[in-house]
Formats: sequence, structure tokens, C-alpha cells
Amino acid sequence: MNNDISAPQVETDVLTAMRRPGPAWLTGLGLAGLLFAGGLALWAYQIMHGMGVAGITHPVGWGVYITDFVFWVGIAHSGTLISAVLFIFRARFRTSFNRAAEAMTIFALMVAGLFPLIHLGRVWRFYYLFPYPNQRQLWVNFRSPLIWDVFAVSTYFLVSLVFFYVGLMPDLAIAARHRSGRAGKLYRILSLGWTGNLRQWRHYGRLYMFLAAFATPLVASVHSIVSWDFAVSIIPGWHTTIFAPYFVAGAIFSGTAMVLTLVIPMRRVLNLQEHIPIDHIEAIAKILLLTSLIVGFSYVIEHGMAFYGENLFEMEQFRFRALGHYSLLFWIMIMCNAVLPLLLFIRRLRRSLAFLFVLSLLVNVGMWLERFVIVVCSLARDFDPYNWGNYLPSPVECGITLGSFGLFFAAFLVFVKTLPVLSITELKER
Amino acid sequence: MDRRKFLQLMGLVSGTTLLSSCGSERNQKELISYLVPPEDGVRPGTAAWRVSTCSECPAHCGITVRLREGRAVKLEGNPDHPVSQGALCMRGQAALWRLYHPQRLRTPLLRTGNGYRPIGWDEAMKRIAEAMTASAEKSRTNMLLTGSTSGSLAALQERFADTCRIDRLPEFEFFNHAALRQAYQLLYGRPRLPRFGIEDADLLVTVGADLLETFISPVGYAHQLSVARREKGLQWSHIEPHLSLTGANADRRLTIRPGSEATLLLWLLQTLAKRRRYARRLPQQILDALPKISLARAMDNSGLPGSSLTELARSLEKARHPLLITGGVATAQLAGGQVALLGCLLQWVLTVPWQGLDFDRAENFGRAGDLRDLQQLNLSLQNDEVGVLIISRTDPVRHSPQKWRLDENLRRARLSIAMTDLHTATSRTTDLILPLTQNFERWDDVEPRIGIHSLIQPAMAPLHNTRSEGDILLELQQRLTGRSEAATYEKYLQQRWKKLFSASQLRAFINKGFVTKGSPRTTISLRTKPTVAALRRIAPSEPLPAPATVITGSIRSFDGRSAVLPLLGEIPDPLTTVTHGNWVTLSPRLASQYGVKDGEELRLTKTDFAVAQPARLQPGLPDGIFGLPIDSLTSGPPGIDPATGEALRVIGGIKAHPTGKHFALPILSGSPSQKGRGIIPKPIHRKGKHHAEHRSLYPEPAYRQYRWAMAIDLKRCIGCAACVASCYVENSVPVVGREEHLKGREMSWLRIEPFYDDQGRASFIPMLCQHCDYAPCEPVCPVYAAYHNPEGLNVQVYNRCVGTRYCSNNCPYKVRRFNWWQHKWAPPLEKMHNPDLAPRSKGMMEKCTFCIQRIRTAHETAGKEDRLIRDGEVIPACAQSCPTDAITFGNLLDPQSAVARLIKTPRTYRVFEGLGTEPAVYYLRPD
Repeated sequence: MNNDISAPQVETDVLTAMRRPGPAWLTGLGLAGLLFAGGLALWAYQIMHGMGVAGITHPVGWGVYITDFVFWVGIAHSGTLISAVLFIFRARFRTSFNRAAEAMTIFALMVAGLFPLIHLGRVWRFYYLFPYPNQRQLWVNFRSPLIWDVFAVSTYFLVSLVFFYVGLMPDLAIAARHRSGRAGKLYRILSLGWTGNLRQWRHYGRLYMFLAAFATPLVASVHSIVSWDFAVSIIPGWHTTIFAPYFVAGAIFSGTAMVLTLVIPMRRVLNLQEHIPIDHIEAIAKILLLTSLIVGFSYVIEHGMAFYGENLFEMEQFRFRALGHYSLLFWIMIMCNAVLPLLLFIRRLRRSLAFLFVLSLLVNVGMWLERFVIVVCSLARDFDPYNWGNYLPSPVECGITLGSFGLFFAAFLVFVKTLPVLSITELKER
Repeated sequence: MDRRKFLQLMGLVSGTTLLSSCGSERNQKELISYLVPPEDGVRPGTAAWRVSTCSECPAHCGITVRLREGRAVKLEGNPDHPVSQGALCMRGQAALWRLYHPQRLRTPLLRTGNGYRPIGWDEAMKRIAEAMTASAEKSRTNMLLTGSTSGSLAALQERFADTCRIDRLPEFEFFNHAALRQAYQLLYGRPRLPRFGIEDADLLVTVGADLLETFISPVGYAHQLSVARREKGLQWSHIEPHLSLTGANADRRLTIRPGSEATLLLWLLQTLAKRRRYARRLPQQILDALPKISLARAMDNSGLPGSSLTELARSLEKARHPLLITGGVATAQLAGGQVALLGCLLQWVLTVPWQGLDFDRAENFGRAGDLRDLQQLNLSLQNDEVGVLIISRTDPVRHSPQKWRLDENLRRARLSIAMTDLHTATSRTTDLILPLTQNFERWDDVEPRIGIHSLIQPAMAPLHNTRSEGDILLELQQRLTGRSEAATYEKYLQQRWKKLFSASQLRAFINKGFVTKGSPRTTISLRTKPTVAALRRIAPSEPLPAPATVITGSIRSFDGRSAVLPLLGEIPDPLTTVTHGNWVTLSPRLASQYGVKDGEELRLTKTDFAVAQPARLQPGLPDGIFGLPIDSLTSGPPGIDPATGEALRVIGGIKAHPTGKHFALPILSGSPSQKGRGIIPKPIHRKGKHHAEHRSLYPEPAYRQYRWAMAIDLKRCIGCAACVASCYVENSVPVVGREEHLKGREMSWLRIEPFYDDQGRASFIPMLCQHCDYAPCEPVCPVYAAYHNPEGLNVQVYNRCVGTRYCSNNCPYKVRRFNWWQHKWAPPLEKMHNPDLAPRSKGMMEKCTFCIQRIRTAHETAGKEDRLIRDGEVIPACAQSCPTDAITFGNLLDPQSAVARLIKTPRTYRVFEGLGTEPAVYYLRPD
């Protein structure tokens, strides 16, 4: 590995990446910001006129918004996986990605958290979803998976944020040392008086280990609970026990893909090739391959169960997915999630950055479509054939989805220029 | 402000507050004392009921009008009324939309070029009177053409016509049943439509007569049919070339080739006449005059297998009380006169012996004319013979063949006047429009059947500057002759009622809404000579060449007159489930032949008749038939039968070709088939057990006094959607329009789902919130907006709802409706809102509540009297309107309640029982 890089070299390389935003960065941020602003405006429009401006309808009461929610929560997954799980397993390649992945988690969760609000018919009453004491003695329904969601996602967000922040502290102190003026002061304050003495390191090590251990079960729990949003219902196509592991695998799959989407260009633009070696990227690609196999297996199981189960509703549902109105999306999804990633068995492709980048984009598309197929197809063909109906996303929904990408990328771009994108201290350790 | 001042002020405020809240018990009884004492019947917060009569069609069903704060908010059937027996169809329910229609004409309008100028009543009257006087001088005839009129208004019209020398033309109704009336005239000398004793029949054969849709008195017939099926075991065969709602509900539907009805009836008559007991009924001359026809010919002509024909004849012979009714499209074709004659002759043989026809309670079509009279008027117009033409409550322009150019010819009258409440095709061509008051704004009476006087009484003051027809005629009479029958129409009615009724009758009239004046039943006898003459003219005709078009009346718009009411556009056509818009139906096989799918335009042409409408595939419709609902006829009927004066509604030899255009049709049904899911089960569905029994971690629901439940008898349900309309009005369900329907966002809390089997037989199921014991919507709501109340109702708390829509997603019946918008009610429609209901705003879920407002009202009454709610005390809006009493509602915990007894019958099942939702809506399977 790249043990030959000296410690000061790491420090300057990583901190140089934070200096002087170029025109490309500014353009990127401007574009992302514009998308986000557009999304916000559309949301305001929707609040003003009602949910009717979205394409959702009867019987498809959930559409692109819930798809986006699950998609972003899924993206948020690999952050914890790479930071916490790999930390516990002492997988050394995690160092190359953990900071970016953690940041990605935070941003993806911020974006994901918006969608349950966006999809609410009366968003101005969103606080009804929290169990707060009130004189009307109204309480939330803890039987509802949507309430579980509120807790699962907010817990995950808080833990991820703390984990991110704790890991950042030593680096913030380093950044403070290299910066003067106000920025330096800010970094100093944020580093909470980190001096790097032995006692601090001892405490830090224990806390970080503890947080990692604490966050690990969350990897499984959050997306399991998100999957129960569906699995707890009685709708054919949703009501199935496979959903929790299936969704977790899918989430890690999409999350790792998103890490690749972000890290591969970042590595190049910020000149971090030396610190993020190709071997580490290959390790990530292997995770991608593994989770793709799990996801592909789940597809087979779902359809197989429907076929052998002889449940009329279930059979029609899976027939519809493969051959019905949305079959094109279904087959794109199969292609992107279960077929193309099999190419990663080939070592040369696994190490080809261009291939990995394109594949990661396709997997992102495929995983978005997977959620769309699950959410929409199941609702479109449920029990009573009289109610069957199809759904077409409206421009407002598409715009808000684009806006969510705008917010995510804007946040990530700001992160790239304000915080060390690699863990300096860990790289030094290495 | 300093501290002292503050304390002073606080002391003052708290002191006065304390003082003002002191008082004796006595003063506190009335929280708000009346500044102005309430008018009669207007007490805030309480409902008043007025009996009245519906005037959406000439059947005139009895209604009760529910009043809140001085305005009509709901119509229900008058339970005692002899015409409708407490039921009300969807058109009747929608009549309130006519009252509050935003486009109602509000003031007299005078045409000026292409526009209108509002004028005062005085000026309008002056113009009419002057024009009438001037025309009379110029030897032009003044004419009065009205829609079906009876009772006092008819009497007044007669006096008016006499004194003012105005020619009172025969009344014009598009469904005028002229062929039948002429046949009865010929056979018995009675040009009337008798009352059919359906409730006493044990076999009913209907030929073309769409009893459940537009034939004379559909609501009454539906009720009679239901009674007969229940009590007399009535078997019903319906014979028609197409598929109507009536046919779909008959026990047997025989599809014949269009135009072969006469042959079929002739064969039946001839076959029956071979039996002595029938032959005895017919004089020998008639028997001799009957054309001979072989079974082979009858089979060949009608397209029916011989077995069906002989079986039909045998069932008629076997029945004790057979009843045969012809009408509808069977008599509205070129051979219509023959069909009517032979049908009525069969009635003489089969039905008259057991007194199944009652001419002394005949339907009041006394002065109705037919299209020939309209043709005559058209000729007079062309010859410039018409002075003032007053057209009231009828739309001849819409219903006359386009080639007559009646709309243009109307301009040739010296002054043409339309009296109407909403614009019609006729009113758009006349010179002057006089806005009429609505049924709920005036006194009147009608005589729907001979001897039945039905009251129309005002429920509220007129909304607009409108007048009743009676008042207009009286004022014209005053202006023309210097004196009138009475100062106002109300006075005229009082005079007439005093003459007509005894004091006790008058009281009953006002309180019950109707008076039946009995007259002894007279016997009818067959007039041999004219019958023979007519029979000799009969030439068994060949059936019409395929493909043929059948123009059908609409249960939603009658002859098209109700199509203007937005509510009816919102309710799907029972067979096709299409809402807003027009279409032409054809069988799936014919559609594939023409290569059209739902919504693709098809152009039908025949010589001078052409119509282009989007196609709608209709399972069960015979191949070779295009079904054209009357609303889809953009320009009058294709022609008239010169022999009877009826419009031609069956025409053969149609050429059809797809135009390539595509229209988005709002089709509400996602699938015509139930895909073997047992929603309406056949017996086999009962055999298989679905799942293990219900187990739950949560305590079982425990109900103490009430568990509200509903039983719906699918054997009785005819899919007429009266319940749907009733639900819409009772619960102020928003009407959202075509665009939203195209997206699948209809708001109906209750819907009728038609499902077709492989043979094209339709069955119907009303689907509403099932109020499940283990409702899937309840656990998934994060905020308890959907919760289970102690009486078993699945309640939706609007104010608590945040709009996640999870409840709707998780509902296997998909009966929940989301408010996609802040729904707007164009004024004055908002006056129709039921004040007992919480309003819903955008972003909330809503659904059927089992009319919880009615349950609450019953609780209040029962609570005051310290008792439980009685069985039958709560009737939801849907059950109240049902013409066949298919819906029963009540308390399941009361073993004596009707619903508790009904669900013990072996026919009971619940939809998707295997899901373990334990619904409170029990269906009784149709077999």
C-alpha cells in the first residue's frame, strides 16, 4: 500500500484540496443550487395548491416522493457501513472513503428526511407525527410503521452526525493550525479544544470504537424499518417477510454505488490519487458485487414465491411487474441491478475507473427504479380489479426529485471545500 | 401604563367578566336569544322536512325535502308515495343541483344579435302580450308547446289557451311511448299507458322496455320488481337487440336481431293461440287475421335458437300471472307500431285476465303528442304561420331530426319564447327566455297517474328573479284579456284544491304529499274491428341489416335533459363506468374487427345520419350492435317513424370506420372482470377456506351497545346508482370533473362496480367503506386519524389527518378518498352543503362514515328519551334511496334487528374474507 507517503505530505495534499474553489466548482455549486431552488419553489407551489399537482392518484397514493425517500435513505447506508462496520472489522481500505461516505450519509439523510414531509397532504401539520405532550391528549400511533420511521431515521441521523463529527475533530484541529483568521478560529472552536495529547487520543479511540459499535446495528435496523413501511401493510407485493434483508442489501448496494459515483471524480479533481489507491476502490467494487448478488437473489425469490404461492393477488402482482404497464422499468431495473454488476467478476473491469463510474450511475438508476417498481406497481394492481389504475409522475414530482439531487450535490460540494475529505489522522496512522 | 393603572384595569375586566357570567338558571337555557323570532320551520341547527314531488322526469316520484337553515340540502324518497314507494333515483337526487346550479337563468333574457340582454319581467310580459295581439291580427297563430304537464298547471294551461286564443299543441316528450299509446287506443279505445301490476306477476317478459332506466316510471318499476321477486318468485326475461341495464338485471336476457321483435311476438301469439284457453280470449276474426309464421322463420329472423323460443312460450303458458311489456327501443323503430300492437294483444291474452293492467290508474300521458306533431309545428313555422310560440320545459330542438332545421325555423316565428330553468338547445335559439322557478321554490301539484294528486310545495324562497309557469300564464292572461283566473298561481291552486279535495283530503295532501282519489275499476274490452284492420296491415318484416345502431335512453340523463347537472356527469354509467363525456359502445370482438380500443373515435354513418364518438368496449353487448347513449347523439334522432311518430332508435345497415382520433375517456373501472377473486361470489367461492383464523396481539374489539353493520342483497341490487347520488348529496362529496376523473381521482364514497363473466353477464356490487373490525387502515395511520370507535365505526378524524395516504394504500377495498385540492363550489352550490358534516380541506382523507351524522342525531333523540336507538331509526342516505331495498342498516348487537337477521342467511359473505379484515358490510350473494 501507499505507506511510502510521508505524514506531512498527507496533510498538505488533503488540505490543498480544500483551498481556492475553481470555476468548475463554482459552476457545479451554482447548478446544484439552482436545481435545489427550483425544487423548493415547486414544493411551495404544491403546498399552495394541494397534492393534486403531483401525479399520485387513486389507487397509487404513493409515488415518486416515497421512491425518493427510500432511495435517499438507501444512499445513506453505506456511510455507516464503511465507517463503522469496516472500522470494527479493521478493513484498512475504509480510510480512503470513510469521510466522504459519512458526509454522504448525512446529506442523503437530510434529503431523505424532506420527502416524508413533501409527500404529506398537510405538511403544515407535520408535528402531529411527533409524540409531544399537548393538552388535547393526542398521541401518535406507535403501531404505525410511519412512526417507527420517524424514530429510525432520526436516530440514524443523530448517530451518523455524532460519528461524523467525532471522527472529524482531530482533523479540524489540523485544519485550524493551517488556517488563519476567522476560518481558523471557527475550526478551532469546532475541534472542541483538541490538542492531540495522549489522554485525548485514548478517550477518542474508545469513543470512536463505542460509536462504531453503536452504529453497526443501525445499518440493519434503519432500512429494515423503512422496508416495514411496506411489509407491514397487506398489499400484495409489499406484504412479505423478505423485505428487511432485501432492503438492507439493496440499500448497501445503492450506497456503495453512490460512494463510487462521488469518490471517483473527487479523487481525480482533488488530486487524491495517491491517497485513494485503486486497490481500495476495487474492494468497494467487491462489496457492490456481493450486494448485487443478494439483490438479484431477492428478485428471484420474490417472483418464485409468487409463482409457487398460488396466491391469486400475489401472482397477478408479479405478472404485472414483469409484463404489465411498467414492465420496461422493471427490466431496466433487472439489467442495472442484477445483470450488469455481474461483470465485476472480471478483475480488469473491477479495476477500471471509467467502468466503475458508469456502472455506479446505472446502479443508482436501477435502485431508484427498484423502489419505484415496488411502490407503484404494488399499489397499481391490488385486490379489487375495479380500482386498478396507473400512475404517471407529474412535472412537479420530477422537479422536486431533481431538486433533491441539487440539494445533495450542493451540500457535498460545500463539504469538499470546507472539510478534509479524507481522514488525515487515519491516513497518517496508515 | 403604570402598575396601578394596570391593576385597576385588570380589576375592572375581571370584575365585569365575573358579573356578566352570573345569572339565574332560567336565563341560561337559551344561549342565544332570538333577536328576530325564527320563521316557520327555520330553527338553527335543526332539520325540517317537507313533502314534495320530483320533476326531473314525467314519472313524478314523491320526495321529502330536508331543510336546514331555510334551504334545501337533501332529497329523499317519500316512503308512502304510491309512485316510488320511498325510493329516489340518481336524477331525483341530483335535482338539487338544478336548484343551485350556478348557471341557472336568473332573469328574463332578450336576444340581441348574438348575445342576450337582461330585461325586467314587466318588459318581457309586455313584449309577449303585444306580440300575441299583433300576431292574432296578422292571422298568425299563437302556440304553446310544453313538456309533460299534469294537475293544476294543465288545467290552467287549458283555461289560458281558451281565453287567450292560443293554440295548445300536444305536449312534447322525447320518450313519448306514442306507439304503445296508439296500440292501446286501437285495442281498447284508451290512448293511455296503463299501470302494470308487476308486483303481482310471477313471470315478466319485457321486449325492449327498459324498465329500470327510462321507461315511464323506472323507480316505481324497480321497486315493484323487487317486491315481486321477493314475494312472488318472479322470473323475468328481457328481450332486446343490445345490452341495457334492464337486460343485465333480468333473470334471462335474450338477444335478438334488431328489428325482429314483431316476428318474435307474432310467433308467440300464434303459438299461444293454439291453446284453447288463449284462443278463447280472441275473436275468430282476429285469429284469422293473424299472419302465419313458422318456427323456422321466427328462429331465422330473431336469431334465437328454437329451444329458447319454445321455452319462452312454455313459460308463458305455465305462469299464473304472466306479464308482457313491450316498449323502449322495440317500439321506437320502423316496425315499432307492429311491435306495440302485437305486444299489447299478447297482454290482452296473457295479462288482462288476471287484471295485470290498470287503465284507471293509467300513467298520465294524456296530452302527450309525438314527433309528428313537432313536424307539424315545424311546417307551420316554415310557412310563417306561427305568431308567438311559447315553449316551456321541453327541448324540441335537441330532439328533432337535424334535417328539419327546427332551430332555424324557430326564428321564423314572430316571437319565440323559451321557459326554462337552465339553457337548453331550444332556449339558445329563441328570442326571449323566461327563467322558471324550481320545484323547491313554488307551490304546484302534479297528477303522475290518474287519480294520484301529488303536491309540490316550496322549501325555500326563490333564489333568483324567477317566476313559476303558472304565474307567467296568469299575468299574460291578465294582460291579454283584462282578467285572470286568479291573482297569483298560489291563489289559483288554493281555489282548485278547495274544489278538488275535501277538508280531510286537503290536510292529507299537505301533510303526506299526495292524495289518491279512487275511482272504480272499469273493465276493458277488445275492439275487434280496428284490431283486425290493423292486423291485416302487418307484414312480418325482415330484421335490420347488421351492423345496427341502438340509441339508448340514459339512466343518468333520461332523454338528455339531466346531463346538464354536474353530479350526474360524475357518477359512472352503470354498465360502461364512463363518467363525463360521450361514447359509442361495441363488443370487444367487433372492436378488434374495426381495430379500435377504448377512446378511439368511431364514425357511424348512414345516408343522412352521422355521428362520431370515442369507442367503449362493452362486454356482453352482442356483436353487430353499436350502442349509442342518447347523450352521444350530437344532433337529434336520425329520423322518425311516420306511422307512430316515435323517433327511430334502431337503425340497421350502419357503416362504421375509425377516424384515427383518440379521446381520453374517463373509465372508472380498472377491469371488467373480477379475475376470479370472488368479489361477487358464485357458490363455489364459498367452499374454499382462505386463511387460518384471526389472531391478534391486540385485544379484540368489544362493543357494548352498538355495532353498526350493513347488509347488501346483491340479488336485489340493480346497479342503478341511486345510492351513489344520494351519498354525494348527503355527504357534500365534491364533484371534481373530467380532468380529475381521467387521473382516477373521483371522490365518490360509494360506487357501483360492474363485473362481467365470460358470457358477458353483468353483476353489480356497491362498494363502500366496510368498517372492518380489523381495519387495515387503522394501524398504519401514524396520528390516529383513522380509528375504531366504540360502536364499530371506522372513523376518520379529518382535523387530525396529516395526509400520508397510507390508509388508502392499505385498504383492500380502496374506498378511501383523498382531497387532492381545495375543492371549490361555485356559488350558490355551497348552499347545498350538509351543515351536519365537518368540511374537508385539501390534503385530507375522507370516506364513507355510515352517515355518522344520522347516527348522532338518532343518539340525541334516543338519549333524550333514555332508550337505545331502535332498529330502522338510522337509515343511511344510500339505503334510503334504494328502489329495491337492497341495503339494510342496523345494530348487529341487537339480535332482533333486520340486519342481524339478514346476515344469518346462508347467502351471506363478505368481500375478501381471507384477509381477516372482518368487515361490517355483509353481502348476500346473488344466486
